Amino acid sequence: MDQDVGVLARGVTRSFGRFQALRGMDLTVPYGEVTALVGANGAGKTTLMLVLATLLAPDPGTAEVKVAGYDLRTHSALARASLGWMPDTFGVYDRLTAVEYLEFFAAAYRVPRADAATRIAELLERVHLVEFARQPVHVLSRGQKQRLGLARALVHRPKVLLLDEPASGLDPRSRVELRDLLRGLAAEGCAVLVSSHILNELEEIADRVVLVDQGRTAGEHDLATLLASASGIWRIRALDEDALGVALDRRSVPHRIASGTPGVDAGPLTEQEAASLLTDLVGDGVRIVSYAPVGGVLESVYLAMTEDRR
Amino acid sequence: MNGIDGVLLVARQEFRTRLRTGRWKILLGAWFLVVGVFAVLMRLALDLTDTDDPGVPLFGTLLLFVLILTMLVAPALTAQSINGDRERGTLATLQVTRLTPWEITLGKFAAGWATGLATLLLALPFILWPIVEGAVPPLRGLVSVVVLALLIGIVCAIAQALSALVMRGITSTLLSYLAVFAAMIGTVIAFFIAQPLVATHVDRGDYIDSVDHSERVWWLLAPNPFVILADATPRLPRVQRCYDYAYPSTTDGTGTSPPVRRCHLESPDTFDPLGEIGRSVRDARLGADERDDRFAYDEEAGAPVQRSAGPVWPYGLGFGLLVAGGSLWITARRLETPARTLGKGVRIA
Repeated sequence: MDQDVGVLARGVTRSFGRFQALRGMDLTVPYGEVTALVGANGAGKTTLMLVLATLLAPDPGTAEVKVAGYDLRTHSALARASLGWMPDTFGVYDRLTAVEYLEFFAAAYRVPRADAATRIAELLERVHLVEFARQPVHVLSRGQKQRLGLARALVHRPKVLLLDEPASGLDPRSRVELRDLLRGLAAEGCAVLVSSHILNELEEIADRVVLVDQGRTAGEHDLATLLASASGIWRIRALDEDALGVALDRRSVPHRIASGTPGVDAGPLTEQEAASLLTDLVGDGVRIVSYAPVGGVLESVYLAMTEDRR
Repeated sequence: MNGIDGVLLVARQEFRTRLRTGRWKILLGAWFLVVGVFAVLMRLALDLTDTDDPGVPLFGTLLLFVLILTMLVAPALTAQSINGDRERGTLATLQVTRLTPWEITLGKFAAGWATGLATLLLALPFILWPIVEGAVPPLRGLVSVVVLALLIGIVCAIAQALSALVMRGITSTLLSYLAVFAAMIGTVIAFFIAQPLVATHVDRGDYIDSVDHSERVWWLLAPNPFVILADATPRLPRVQRCYDYAYPSTTDGTGTSPPVRRCHLESPDTFDPLGEIGRSVRDARLGADERDDRFAYDEEAGAPVQRSAGPVWPYGLGFGLLVAGGSLWITARRLETPARTLGKGVRIA
């Protein structure tokens, strides 16, 4: 089982002086799936990514930390060959063209020269930068640089891909493209780990979600199961909102008038409960025009997890 | 690909990212001009003052001038090579590749050193001038250039280690210049301050005589780049000059005994700046007692007593190379991943 997952981390700890950044992180990133790492600023996401990227040594107390089957404490050099990493912010060598930039990293990853040229052409195609191939890197926009960074992380065909906040600063179109790209990589068998703040988007990208809080793993979930089981607020709009309110009261479903937009917020309800409620309301003769979860399930779960901090 | 290929890859990358700025052409052009103008003016001045053998002083002053300039340039070449990349966010992406810390260290060092050697190459036509004229033997020229090249490498290695140790580029640059300043000026100051501290005092009855013991502190001068360059460069030999000394006759005090011919070793007439520095530091190594003996005359042999201390430069250069090696080791250590400890304020990515 150990060998079958891209990343296997158990009880990862890391402290900087007296500050404990990681207090026991558990994480599994299976091949062929996108795993999302979700947590507040300072929860330890980036530190964990740095440990997994072989840049930062975990503390000696760490139980297990393996990438692509290699123990990072003893075989980090081997793990690197099958590991692609994109940090949240990174610089590019301004004077180089996109192709030269990728050629350099292909050589640094010891990709055979003959193989590198085709790989680079393929990657530029994949991240939609073909027309910038011979352009100096500094003319690229933020989104384009981000895509070039992703191409860099992929240049040696890694089996495990670690992306720290890849969507930050991207326009909606680039995000959709990033999502398709990551889904595509997972479909090819890559183990993808993505950290992000943009929770609604992760719902569309991720198969699994790992919630982290204050240096600890707060939960590892299969997203489909989570979506089915987690309770969220549902926004209901009806032609007659008074009738809707009466119907909800009768079934003792907590609700309140939605702030700022028309409609009533009901819940928390699981998907099952929400579906039953909808049937009931329709049966009651309430004429519903829209019925949808508010803010996404991940957001509710995330907010519930971080609530006690405030 | 392994080892040397990785080093070359990193070095080539350094060159590409730096050289495409184009500013280097202007800088190197200015450098060539400065050295050239200095050499020509120096030569004219020597001709005007009717100096004998103008090639020797030209060679010496030019080398010292080039040494000062390269010592000003060399720290800038690598003083931001690690922390600059860290600030730009390009170091971590390099560290996660299959390049080893040593490949990154040596590649960046090689690029910096090669740039320093390029400045030396541009000064070479002027250094060759007195050699081509025949005033300076080729071996002398070769040794000087090799020592200069090594000195540039030593400074580059130290500046690079500082850039790996210190987080901010501006701080490591400043520290690199301080290190060069300490070697060039600090060592001389230390030597002159230390001398009275190690002097001994001899009671001569009427007065207390202070005897200088520079042989105990000469090593303070050894790391000085001027000393290393000057002392390593083969010098013009001391010349033996003989004088006839006539002493009053010992018997009646009126006549004179037949003149006695005594020979001494003296500095050559030609002004030889490198040779002078070299002789002075070797004399310092000799100490006052023996130094005065230099003029002693061996009656039996009928020749001046040959006293000369060993060279100083092997100590200086050896020390420099050790420090340079240590510096490269420190840099490679700081680039090692996974990192256990981080410098204060160091952000990996």
